[in-house]
Amino acid sequence: MRKVLLFAVMTAVCALGVHGQTVDELLSKYVKTIGGADKLAAIKTMRITGKFMGGGGFEATVLQEAKRPNMIREEFGLQGMSQVNAYDGKQGWKIDPFQGKKDAETLGEDELKSIVEDSDFDGPLFDWKAKGNKIEYEGKEDFEGSDVYKLKVTLANGTVKHYFLDADYYVPIKIETKQTIRGTEVEFETILGDYKEAGGVYFPFSYESGRKGSPNRSTITYEKIEINPVLDDSRFTMPKGK
Amino acid sequence: MMRKTLYFVVVALVVTMGANVFGQVKVDSETISGLGARNIGSAAMSGRISALDGRWEGDRLSLYIGTASGGVWKSQNGGTTFKPVFDKAGVQSIGAVTIDPKNPKVIWVGTGESWMRNSVSVGDGVYRSIDGGDNWTNLGLKESEHINKIIVDPKNTDTVYVCATGKLFSDSDDRGVYRTTNGGQSWTKILRGANASTGCGNLAVDPNDPKTLYAGMWDFRRQGWTFRSGGENETAASGSGLFKSTDGGNTWKELSDNSMTNGLPAKPWGRTALAVAPSNPKVVYATVEAAMPNNGLYRSDDAGKTWKALDRSQMMIWRPFYFSNLIVDPKDENKVFKAGGSLILSNDGGRSFSNVSGGAHGDFHDVWIDPANSSHVITGDDGGLWYSFDSANRWWKADNLPVSQFYHVSVDNDRPYHVYGGLQDNSSWIGSSEFPGGITSHQWENMYGGDGFWMFADPSDPDYVYAESQGGYIGRINRKTHESRGIQPLPKYNEGKLRYNWNAPIHVGKGGTLYLGSQFLFRSRDHGQTWDRMSPDLTTNDPNKQKQEESGGLIVDNSSAEMHTTIFAICESPLDPNLVWVGTDDGNVQVTRDGGRTWANVTGNIHGLAKNAWVTGVEASHFTPGTAYATFDLHTFGDMTPHAYKTTDFGKTWNPIVMPGGNVRGYAHVVKEDLKNKDLLFMGTEFGLWISLDGGRVWSQYKGGDFPNGVAVRDMAIQPRDNDLVIATHGRGIWIIDDITPLRALTQDTLAKDVAFLQAEPSVQKIQAGGGWANGDAAFVADNKPDDAVITYYQKKRHIFGDLKIEVLDAKGNVVGNIPTSKRKGLNRVKWGMRMPAPRVPPAASIAGGATIGPRLMPGLYIVRMTKDKQVYTTPLKVTLDPRVKFTAIDRKANFDLSMKVYDLLGQMTDDVQRINDVRLALDDRLSKTSDTNFQTRLKGWSGQVDALRRKIVATKEGGAITGEERLRDFASNLYGDLVGYEGAPSATQTARADALSRELGDVRKSFDDWLAKNLATINAELTQYKMDPIPMPTVSAAKPSAASSAAGAAEMPARFRFW
Repeated sequence: MRKVLLFAVMTAVCALGVHGQTVDELLSKYVKTIGGADKLAAIKTMRITGKFMGGGGFEATVLQEAKRPNMIREEFGLQGMSQVNAYDGKQGWKIDPFQGKKDAETLGEDELKSIVEDSDFDGPLFDWKAKGNKIEYEGKEDFEGSDVYKLKVTLANGTVKHYFLDADYYVPIKIETKQTIRGTEVEFETILGDYKEAGGVYFPFSYESGRKGSPNRSTITYEKIEINPVLDDSRFTMPKGK
Repeated sequence: MMRKTLYFVVVALVVTMGANVFGQVKVDSETISGLGARNIGSAAMSGRISALDGRWEGDRLSLYIGTASGGVWKSQNGGTTFKPVFDKAGVQSIGAVTIDPKNPKVIWVGTGESWMRNSVSVGDGVYRSIDGGDNWTNLGLKESEHINKIIVDPKNTDTVYVCATGKLFSDSDDRGVYRTTNGGQSWTKILRGANASTGCGNLAVDPNDPKTLYAGMWDFRRQGWTFRSGGENETAASGSGLFKSTDGGNTWKELSDNSMTNGLPAKPWGRTALAVAPSNPKVVYATVEAAMPNNGLYRSDDAGKTWKALDRSQMMIWRPFYFSNLIVDPKDENKVFKAGGSLILSNDGGRSFSNVSGGAHGDFHDVWIDPANSSHVITGDDGGLWYSFDSANRWWKADNLPVSQFYHVSVDNDRPYHVYGGLQDNSSWIGSSEFPGGITSHQWENMYGGDGFWMFADPSDPDYVYAESQGGYIGRINRKTHESRGIQPLPKYNEGKLRYNWNAPIHVGKGGTLYLGSQFLFRSRDHGQTWDRMSPDLTTNDPNKQKQEESGGLIVDNSSAEMHTTIFAICESPLDPNLVWVGTDDGNVQVTRDGGRTWANVTGNIHGLAKNAWVTGVEASHFTPGTAYATFDLHTFGDMTPHAYKTTDFGKTWNPIVMPGGNVRGYAHVVKEDLKNKDLLFMGTEFGLWISLDGGRVWSQYKGGDFPNGVAVRDMAIQPRDNDLVIATHGRGIWIIDDITPLRALTQDTLAKDVAFLQAEPSVQKIQAGGGWANGDAAFVADNKPDDAVITYYQKKRHIFGDLKIEVLDAKGNVVGNIPTSKRKGLNRVKWGMRMPAPRVPPAASIAGGATIGPRLMPGLYIVRMTKDKQVYTTPLKVTLDPRVKFTAIDRKANFDLSMKVYDLLGQMTDDVQRINDVRLALDDRLSKTSDTNFQTRLKGWSGQVDALRRKIVATKEGGAITGEERLRDFASNLYGDLVGYEGAPSATQTARADALSRELGDVRKSFDDWLAKNLATINAELTQYKMDPIPMPTVSAAKPSAASSAAGAAEMPARFRFW
């Protein structure tokens, strides 16, 4: 019900702006391509396992668990150790054994900003108005030989992302992010690919990321997306100190 | 005759059809641009800065640096780091940069530098960004070509004034002072020059009353062989003058009118620089280029009514066409900088000036004075950007602006190879194409002096290089001692002067034969000790183009920059040393087929080309003796389009390889033919690099990596061993496209396929080495060629849905690697580290740093297998040893075997720890389930016994990486790290150490097995009594990590990874 209402609001609001209609059209085609809003709404929890590849043969495991509306847990595993970052909708925390710390601690301001962004279960393009995000259509461009629609997404927290939707399929193939960390702009970009179906929804299974303008890229490849696994809230809440 | 006509029709038809020939796959930028390029710099010599502006945003200083031909660079931290923000614009020459006085995110840029030296590039109008440089919009005045200044009305920022100098080489009405009152939507010309060669040379505004403007109109013209600032000479009429408006440019009054007696010198004038003192706008400074001795600095204290002549020191009056900028301190009307060959500063209102150039390069063009602190000054000159924190007494060099302006480039055959090249006002340098840790300014070495142009290693003596300064001053330089010896061919008795171009061509032919051109072609086979004059005058020898002693206009300026009727290009055929091509700056293409005994002027055979076109390059084919390419430049006649021709019959007939109205932009500097594929051509123009896969019928602009759109490509070299294309840009340094082999394989057959692997060079397992040191963030560090194996493939369309997977298989068909894939349309490049997965490592309190990567696989033949949805494609991949290594393949194998032994040892200890943990954790589990304190004590005791064994293998002390606690795992991991870090034969002590560690682990394992044999049955009997599950005999878990799910470490650990 909440979803339906939000979509109705979104449509009404979009119809007002000059670019709004285009944004609305693009997003509705995107939603249609990936399987439809109903299918997405039917996903309540997700567990993603994958592989991180840095340069020069460096590999690690990654795990992401997410639960509506905005709980998330991310793990980065190496040599049997796991770095955990998580957010339970209220509090962000981490365990960083690579820094010699085995106990949970709360996230710093900038880390928290990032994980709160990640915790948005459907991503910032969905229900964007309700979330306080702003989306503007900035025109058609070329990206690596493919026509793309460029959307400027200003999150409620001020982070600016540019989504580049493939002009044939309307799915994002690149996301540029500009964050301000300690007053300094940090820009990075992610190239998305290998869209595959899980739970009736197409997700990108390949993410190539790096600082904008740097040839040094790392990739994350999903191996598996589990739809609606049982995820207890305790996975996301900060463990008490021992 | 008839046959020839027919041929032309056929050629024209084919050319017209171009990419659209039926059934042909269209080749475009995207097809070829998947091969990235890396910029190797350098910021060591940097390059000319033409304009700059700064603004405090809160407590951080933003800088926007406009460069002569390398775009706009932005810093948000006062210069610690810069990023280029103008790289998509299409032109890179900047004349003006202005930050909106009210909104620091609004930046105005006037393209086309107006420091009008012979080599100046061109722009295409006014741009504005409203988001701090992320995006730019061209707002018009596209035909202005050169813009000196943009002034934004500080009170009404939609009103903007543009000082458009206009076309340099031709008449044009697109010049003068323009105004917009609607933020650039439309422009009005508010001050027109007196003639079609007079534009705006400089503009100043009264900041308190922005409707008061002062404009220096400038009559200027270059030709290839001369220039004039003002009229043709001291007395000739000139359109130059000084004008003032008090109504925002609606009406103007000329202050330089000869009928006025206001203290300004009599016309004719040349260029004028202007500045209004912000702290007292009645004070106006002007430099006036007038007939000597009336040229110099003038000052008005009454807003231009009357003027007083002040300083006329050399640096005040020298070369106004290149130096015409005055900058007054925002707080002190009497403190004024004049940018010039030296930077000079007056603290007494312009009466006297001191040289404040300090240790900076020289040839200054702009100055920014911090409005918050006048001691903080930033300036730009021909050598880059400089900061002063003591009011211009001492200068700190910016080492992070690789905006170097190369004219030419060559390469040697060292491993890694070096690049050689000369630059505008920045001498001749050797740089390394790779260096462990990245290429910094330290990997570049200056070898000569002056302006630099052509430079070559002496192929017959690696200790020597050839370089030159302007006017053909060629030297032979010892690379080690830097001793140099002038070897220029000199005039004969009564011959007067030899005519060497500013950028006189040096060419090195087979076996080290050295060529140099004046109007004659010289050849030396003994390193310049003796020269054969192997030609007559090959130029038009037009005396009207040899009057450089009269060049300069009002004031003669004869630097050799206008030397004309000279040889400009030389190329000996790689197939026949007696076949030599020569091109001249006045339009001749000449060829000898008999080593210089006879010459044929084949210029007349080139139809459709305007006369006297500057021959910028000649390229003899590597495949057919009669084939050659030539590029022609008519920009000195006002034609900015490319012209390039090809002959296949020693110059008897020529056909154009670029068409009028085609997609190639900018006047042409060079064509290079690939060394292996005769149809693969590279063309450098003033606005970039174009590549043809079909012998010049279709050209595609190269846009790979971060290669800036619109940068001038002056020269290229192909490194024959590594097959790298080395690109000399005039404004952004040297770029390298590593291994262009895949371009050679891009045939129409390949392009028609959905997916195809492209053969590349064998992958060398580069020596693993560390170099460099912490540079801070304010240094430019260039990327190396990847250490990884590079695999190239072509996709007709972008891959979006479904799997795109690449694996590497060894000779036995085992999967030994997984490679992240690239999805783009056209060429894709992916990298494989050639390593085993990292060893399994038992968990401990910290990471085993030495064991985060696998050993590099043995050289040999591998198979790359791509799976795209259901389709499978394979290609062989040859992996070879680095030819530089001193060890043998047998040594390499010994290293690999021992590395694998320790690798396995780490795996075994992982199993051992797992078995111990299975028992230990089971004991702890039972402990938590019983309340019997006696039994608890016994369980604790057993758990402690096995944990003591675990602690012999792994460190367990928490608290960070350096606990000092080292156990078997750490000893093995350290040994392993040493072994995989150097791939030659292991030392005897390493071999023995591996055995010792293996035995020590065996001892622990035996202790554990003994413990199990002794205790497990007893424990289980007790557990049964307590109605608890017995503890099974621990076994090694079957689940071994696959290649896909292990290990790591050389790369940076992400603080957090991001999915979305």
